[in-house]
Amino acid sequence: MNRDRAALFAYLAAVLAASWLHDPVWLAAGLAVTLLAAGGAASSLLRRSVLTVLAFNSVISLSYAALAWMQHIMPWETLLRINLRVVLLTSLTFLFIARVNLFRALDFSQNLTYALGLAYSQALTFRRAHEDFRLALASRSLKRPRLIDRYRASAAAAAWFIEKALHAATQSAQALRSRGFFHD
Amino acid sequence: MHIPDGFISPQTYLPAYAVAAGLWAFAARRVRRDLDADTLPFLAAYTALSFVLMMVALPLPGGTTVHAAGIGLLAVSFGGWMGFLAISLVLAMQALLFGDGGITALPINALAMGLVGSFAALAAWKGLGRFNQSVALFLAGWLSIVLPALLVALALGIQPLIAHDAQGAPLFFPFSMNITLPAVVLPHLLVGLAEGVLTVLGYRYLTRLREKLAA
Repeated sequence: MNRDRAALFAYLAAVLAASWLHDPVWLAAGLAVTLLAAGGAASSLLRRSVLTVLAFNSVISLSYAALAWMQHIMPWETLLRINLRVVLLTSLTFLFIARVNLFRALDFSQNLTYALGLAYSQALTFRRAHEDFRLALASRSLKRPRLIDRYRASAAAAAWFIEKALHAATQSAQALRSRGFFHD
Repeated sequence: MHIPDGFISPQTYLPAYAVAAGLWAFAARRVRRDLDADTLPFLAAYTALSFVLMMVALPLPGGTTVHAAGIGLLAVSFGGWMGFLAISLVLAMQALLFGDGGITALPINALAMGLVGSFAALAAWKGLGRFNQSVALFLAGWLSIVLPALLVALALGIQPLIAHDAQGAPLFFPFSMNITLPAVVLPHLLVGLAEGVLTVLGYRYLTRLREKLAA
């Protein structure tokens, strides 16, 4: 078993453990171990994890605190448990993404690796292009674009992505066929 | 719509993984019959397309935005199983490569959005497409958002019932069905309208483009 696949199994075991632990002390200890494993990147890992879950967890936590207040329940342990678990799982995932090559971990299936590899490479290109479209609209607009302009920009971007996806698929098909991928 | 990590109990996500794994294997076998030099890149390309459609913000009056998912468009263009696999790949990519969404919520999201969303869209398209194509496409897009939202709300809403401590305090998602259902489903009734319009326009554009490429 290669190192990346072993790391994938270790990550899945850690996720399972974090799901079965309910004591906030143990969840906090799990988070501490994860941050220790991150080494010098611990503070940026924690910051990134907290920022990622901040919006969703704030809504859930504030709503639950309000509900508990109306029902005369002490919400603190529940809130601590839920938030620690979410931050722990998110930190584990970010650490996994930073340290493990998922494509090597999944290389037991040729089709899965190729589908994931092709989709990922195109998703990266599309994500960059999406950011370019957003910045292009912002740079062309002296004031906030009107609703109709934003609709047009979104439609133009979606059309470009559809066309690009079709061309990319055709090119990949030709490249795979010419290299004998389906006959090996 | 999709659920982040940490809100779904293992009593829910482990059985969901078992069901999803069986369906992924079945879908892969179904798709593999057509999986060749043409269809494998298309699966990848449409996975990437669906990924980026989830990033394209559709502005709503009032300054807010909603995000399309392209589930209806994928399903009516390439079939339910291809849609299920592509959406599952998108969700897996988001969870494991971009850190968006969650590994524990992946099977619920895949079953709700990928399986139910795709097949609901396909059913609307096949059932109504011969009468009125635009209505069928719109309904396909709307259903592909609203039904998964309903399932996601059910999965979240049952968490306090199946995972709580001795005092009855929730261990995972803390709100029961009577709060979760309206909070999740009602906004998606509106989001579904945007998805319906996207499916109609996207399908027409895709058809024109394919004709152009074939010519």
